[in-house]
Formats: sequence, C-alpha cells, structure tokens
Amino acid sequence: MTDIPAHLPHRYPFLLVDRVLEREPGVRVVAEKLVTFGEPYLQGHFEGRPMVPGVLLLEMLAQAGGFLEAEPLHGAAIFLAGVQDARFKAPALPGDRLRLEVRADGAFAGLMKIRGIVSCEGRDLCTAALLVKRL
Amino acid sequence: MSDLKLRVKEMIIERLKLEGMTPDQIEDGAPLFGDGLGLDSIDALELVLGIEQVFGVKIEDEAAGLQAFKSVQALTEFIAEHAKA
Repeated sequence: MTDIPAHLPHRYPFLLVDRVLEREPGVRVVAEKLVTFGEPYLQGHFEGRPMVPGVLLLEMLAQAGGFLEAEPLHGAAIFLAGVQDARFKAPALPGDRLRLEVRADGAFAGLMKIRGIVSCEGRDLCTAALLVKRL
Repeated sequence: MSDLKLRVKEMIIERLKLEGMTPDQIEDGAPLFGDGLGLDSIDALELVLGIEQVFGVKIEDEAAGLQAFKSVQALTEFIAEHAKA
C-alpha cells in the first residue's frame, strides 16, 4: 500500500510515514519512514549534528498506528491521549530507513492502546505505548 | 478479605501504578471513578486490559464497564461471575 496521503490527513512537513509494508487493520501495521538531510527539523536539531527528535519518533508511531484503522482518517476526530513507557535507545539519523511497527493492545470506550517499536537495521531505537482517543 | 478481592485490588494497584497504596486502603464499596479512587478513562482502559490479562475476563463494552467499575466489590463479583463461564 503506497497511497499514504489518501489515508492520513497529515501533510508536509508533518507527514512522517513513507510506506506501509504490512497491514492488518485492528491488529498490526509495519510501515517505514526514510530519514534524509532534507528534513526541515534537522536544520536546528541540531546544527552540525542532525538527529531526529524523540517526540517525532513517537509521532511516527502514532501515524503508523493510523493504519490500524480500516477507514481513511480524513475528517475523523482522532487524537493522541497519552504516551507510556517511552524509551529512546539510540538516535535516528539522516540516511536511516526506519521501520515502524505498531500493534493494537486493546480498546475500551473509544480509547485504544497501541504498542510501537521504531527500529533501524534490526536495532530498536524507540519503544513506547500510545493511547489514542476517538471522539 | 476474599482471596479474589485481594487479587483484584493488587491488580488495580499494579496496573495503575498507585505507588505506596496497599490493598487495605482501597474500600470495597468506594466508586473507582469520580469521587472514589478518582480514576479517568485511560485508567479504565488499563483496567480492562489488566482484567483480561490477569483473570481472563473480557469487558466487552461501556455498559459492562459501567456495571463492573461501580466499586471493587462490584468488579470482584463481575470477575467471579464471568470467569466461570
């Protein structure tokens, strides 16, 4: 599946998923984000030492989590409600092909918990649980 | 305190990270949400996941949750009832 903008409402400079490799709605998604020197936020984070901000790794997982939804998210009121147990183990750098793997943990009363891992070449960079609220 | 009720309270404390709280500090009849333990909707989801993991009981929808989350007493009865099935 390659038509990312048809599913997610996010746009430049905040669309942080480039490709969806595997997708089982309601269960599991594997997506990719390719990091380049051209990323606008790397200009200032940091000058001379570019690395992807940790909060953006969480955002990448949240956006990958959007593909757990069967229907496109355009017009849907879905918001991040919580972040738990976030760990940043190594920085993501220009040139990295980031693998975004998310799994639905459970849902109750419009609130869904997802677990995610950002990895690169088999090495975990970030792990976290995210809570997503559908209004 | 019944064995199951104690396990329910221990699960609540562990799952919601109520650090420093002991099972005997949670009143059997106190509401879990609002005035009682003061839990919110994120806590509710954590409890739903914890109850499923620890006791193998699913709380399918909000109606079931409304009944189960009235108090620790109600939750213990809910689990005892549905674990048998």
